[in-house]
Amino acid sequence: MTNYIGKAVKRVEDKRFITGKGRYTDDIVLPAMAHAYIVRSPYAHARIISVDTSAAEAMEGVIKVFTGKDIAASGINGIPTGWQVNFKNGETMKEPPHPLLVADKARYMGDAVAVVIAETKEIARDAGDIVEVEYEELPAVADAKKATEPGAPLVHDDAPNNLCFDWELGNPKAEVNEAMSKAHHITTLEFTNQRVIPNAIEPRSAIGHYEEANDKYTLYTTSQNPHLTRLLMCAFVLGIPEHKVRVVAPDVGGGFGSKIFHYAEEALMIWCSQRLKRPVKWTADRSEAFMTDAHGRDHVTKAEMGFDKEGKIVGLRVKTYANLGAYLSTFAPCVPTWLHGTLLQGLYTTPKINVDVTGVFTHTVMVDAYRGAGRPEATYLLERLIDTAALEMKMDPAQLRLKNFIPPFDGVKQPGYQTQVALQYDSGNYHGVLNRAMEMVGYEQFRKEQEAARKEGKLLGIGFSTYIEACGIAPSAVVGALGARAGLYEVGQVRVQPTGKVSVYTGAHSHGQGHETTFAQVVADRLGIPMDDVEIIHGDSESVAFGMGTYGSRSLAVGGSAIVKSLDKIIEKGAKIAAHKLEASEEDLEFAEGKWTVKGTDKSVGFGDVALTAYVPHNYPAGLEPGLDFSSFYDPANFTYPFGAHIAVVEVDKDTGKVALKRFIAVDDVGNVINPMIVDGQIHGGLAQGIGQALFEGALYDDNGQLINGSYMDYTMPRADDLPSFELDRQVTPCPHNPLGVKGAGEAGTIGSTPAVVNAVMDALSPFGIKNLEMPLTPERVWRAMNS
Amino acid sequence: MHLTGTHRFDASANEIWSKLMDIDTLARITPGVSKLEELGEDQYKAIAEVKMGPVSGSFTGNLNVQEKQEPKSFILNIKQNSKIGNVAADVKIELHPVSDRETELSFDGKANLSGLLARTGQRVLSGVANTLSKQFFQALEDELAGSAGTQG
Repeated sequence: MTNYIGKAVKRVEDKRFITGKGRYTDDIVLPAMAHAYIVRSPYAHARIISVDTSAAEAMEGVIKVFTGKDIAASGINGIPTGWQVNFKNGETMKEPPHPLLVADKARYMGDAVAVVIAETKEIARDAGDIVEVEYEELPAVADAKKATEPGAPLVHDDAPNNLCFDWELGNPKAEVNEAMSKAHHITTLEFTNQRVIPNAIEPRSAIGHYEEANDKYTLYTTSQNPHLTRLLMCAFVLGIPEHKVRVVAPDVGGGFGSKIFHYAEEALMIWCSQRLKRPVKWTADRSEAFMTDAHGRDHVTKAEMGFDKEGKIVGLRVKTYANLGAYLSTFAPCVPTWLHGTLLQGLYTTPKINVDVTGVFTHTVMVDAYRGAGRPEATYLLERLIDTAALEMKMDPAQLRLKNFIPPFDGVKQPGYQTQVALQYDSGNYHGVLNRAMEMVGYEQFRKEQEAARKEGKLLGIGFSTYIEACGIAPSAVVGALGARAGLYEVGQVRVQPTGKVSVYTGAHSHGQGHETTFAQVVADRLGIPMDDVEIIHGDSESVAFGMGTYGSRSLAVGGSAIVKSLDKIIEKGAKIAAHKLEASEEDLEFAEGKWTVKGTDKSVGFGDVALTAYVPHNYPAGLEPGLDFSSFYDPANFTYPFGAHIAVVEVDKDTGKVALKRFIAVDDVGNVINPMIVDGQIHGGLAQGIGQALFEGALYDDNGQLINGSYMDYTMPRADDLPSFELDRQVTPCPHNPLGVKGAGEAGTIGSTPAVVNAVMDALSPFGIKNLEMPLTPERVWRAMNS
Repeated sequence: MHLTGTHRFDASANEIWSKLMDIDTLARITPGVSKLEELGEDQYKAIAEVKMGPVSGSFTGNLNVQEKQEPKSFILNIKQNSKIGNVAADVKIELHPVSDRETELSFDGKANLSGLLARTGQRVLSGVANTLSKQFFQALEDELAGSAGTQG
C-alpha cells in the first residue's frame, strides 16, 4: 500500500468533475445575492463625455448603478502590477493607474465603464443596455511596434511613445556585435509571436460578500492564486485589513495563466458588496472572456544568430517589442523580460548573447503570462533560428543541435551550467532526449521517404524543437532582485488527525492539474498510509495559512516540497512518541511502511497509534508538545529546468495549403515523475495548445483596436481531429535541489511544440524557397506563399 | 471591412440616379430597411431590421449623401449606433455609362465596426454584405424595369 509514487493512480477529483458535481464560483448561491453586469467600452480608445444611468436605475429590479466617477470619489486605488522592470537608464517603469471603472477615458475595447447591480443577471444585463454612455472616439493603436513610432496615439499621457520600459540582458552589445562580426554565417529572422487568447473552459467569475455584523469580507473567485489576490486587493487596491478578508478559489475550470492575476472585477465585487450590504456576483460570458481575459505572447522580434564555419554558434542578438496591452497586469512586466530573456541560452553553448526588450502600451486588453509565459517565445525564437540556419548552411538541423548542445551534467558531481543570461541550469542531458526522439521518429528512414514523396509531388516535412524552461518559480531572493514585489515560496501544512487520518493544506492551487491526487500520492508514500487517508485542501485563505498559487510549473516542485518538509517534521516528532511507547531510543528506530520499528526486532508501533497518542498524551515523552501538526514554508534554492526534444512530421496539401500534422514525438525530461498518467495528460494538453498557436490561433485587432475574432465562430481552437495520436517518451534527470527531484511538467508541451510544427512546415515548403511564414500557418497563408 | 462591387444595369445613368435619390424607392428596395425618413437636405434616418447569425436587432442609422456629382458619383456616409456595436462607413458610388442604355454602377468603401459587431462574425459579414448588395441591385433592376414598363 505504500508505493504510490510513480504509479498512474486515477485522479480522485475526477469523480466530482465527470459527474457534474464540481463546485465552481458561478455555482455558489448566497442568500440575498445580487447580480452584476459590467458596461464596457465598444471603442478601443474613447473619451467618456457622459454616463447617464437614470433610465437603468429606474428599471424594476435594478438596485444600483455605479460609474467610474463613483469609484474615483471613493478614493480607492487601481489594480497594481506585481513586478517592476526599470528603464535601462535606471528610471522606474511607467505604471499608469488602472481604475476598477474608468471615469475619463476607455483605453481598450472592453474597458469597464459602469456596473449595474440588479436582482437577477438578466435584469442587470437589460439595464446595462440602457446605460447611456456618450463617447468621443479617439484614434487607437494595437500593434506594439507601431505604438512606439512618432505620432502614434498615446494610451497614457504620461508614457511618451507608449513606452513602459526598455530592458536588456546578457553580454554587453559591443561584445556580441564583435562576436557576430567574426561569424562565418548569420541567420536573421523577423517575425511576430502572435497574440493568443487563453480560453479556459470556465469563464471568470467573482462573488463579493460583505458581512456587516462582523465587518468581514469573502471573495469567491476563479483564481489560480487566492492568497496573492487577497494581498493585492487588500493592501494595494481597497485598503481593507487582510485579516478581515477571506478569499476562496473553489473548483476552477482551467486557467493556463489567465487566472493568476488580480482582476478589477474581483475588487469591484467586494467594493459593491460593501456599499450595498449584499453579496454580489459577476460571471463573464464567453464574449467578455475573449475581450477581457489577459491575453498571451504578442512579441515582434528580430533575432540574429551567428555561426562559425563548423556550425558552432558564436553569438545571438535579439530585439523584441512586447505588447503589454492598455494597463499592467500582475506579472506583465516580468513575462517578456525575466521569463523570456533568461531562456535565450536554450540548450546551446552560445558564448555571447544580448537581448533587448521594449515593453509597450497599446489600446488592447492586458497581456500577461499564458502557459509557458516568455519561455515559449524564447524557444520559438531559438528553434526557428536553428532550423533556418541549418537550411541556409545546408546542414542537418538535428546534427546542428547536437553539435551545439551543452554537455550532460547532473548538478551533483558536475556543477550546474552558468548561462550568459543570469540563470544557472540545475541538471541536464540534452543529447539524450534528442537522440531518443530521432530514434522514435526513424529519422534516417524519414528523410528517404521525404525524398521519395517529393518526387511524387507530395510535401512532407519534419521539424525539430529542443527546449529548456525555468520552472518551479522561484527562489524569493532571486525574483526579488529581479523586480518581483512578492516572494515565491510555498506553504505546506500537514495536520495528522487523532485517528491517523491526514489533512494537507497547500498554498498551491489546482485548476485541472490534479493536486488532490499527486500530492496525496506523495503524502501517503512518505507516511506509509493508504491514499484514502489523505485529503488535500487548497484554494481557501481561511484554511490554508498562505500560498503563492499555481503557475510556472511550480506546484509540485515548490508546493510539494513544502509538504515534504512538514512530513519530515511529522516523522521526526512521531519517532519521539514511538520511542517513548516502545521504550527504545529514537536512534534505534526506523520508519517504513507506516510504522516505527526497533531495528533488528519485530517490536513496532504504527502511525495511527502514534497519532492517537499525540492527541491523547496520557503516557507521553516529558517536555514534548501534544499534537501532530506542522506547517512549513519552502523557498527553493533555484528554478528547476525541465527540457525535452519534440519532433513534428507534417504534410502540406499542395492544392489547398492545409497542413496535416501526421506525427508528433515528444521526449520530455521533467525530472522525477509522481504520476505518469497526469504528466502525460499535462504534456498532451500542452502540445495541443502549442500546436494551436502554430496552426490555428491568433487574436486579431484591426487598426481601430477592435478585436475582430472574439468568438468561437471566428477564433480557431485546435480540435481532436486536427491532432495525431501523440508519441511520448520520458527521460529522467532528477532535480538536484528539491526533495522530490521533480522539475515540473505543466508548460513543457506548449513550450516545445510550436516551433517544431512551424519548422516542419518550413521543411515541407523548402522546395518553394519559403523560409519563414508568420503563425498561424492557416491554409490561406501557406497557399498564398506557395503561389506567389 | 472593405466593401466593393459592381453591377451593370440596362438603364441610363440619369435613370439610376433619380431612383437612388428618391427616398421612397430607396426605402422600398434596400434590404432590411423598414423606414427611411428625411432629416434635412441629403440627410436621412434609417431603421433597419437585421439578422445575421448570432447578430440580430433593430438598427437606427444616419445616412448622409455627400459630394454629389449628378449623375456620376456620390459618397454615402453611414453612421449607426446600437447596443450590439457601431458601424461607421464611407462608400463611394459611381455610375459609368457603358452605352446609351447601359450603365455600370460601382461602389467602394470601408466600414469600421466596433463592439460585438466587430468581434463576432466579422468573417461572415463581408459575405452578408455581398448578399445584401446583390439583393439591392436586383430590386433596383426591378424598379428600373418597372418604370421602363410604365413609360413604355
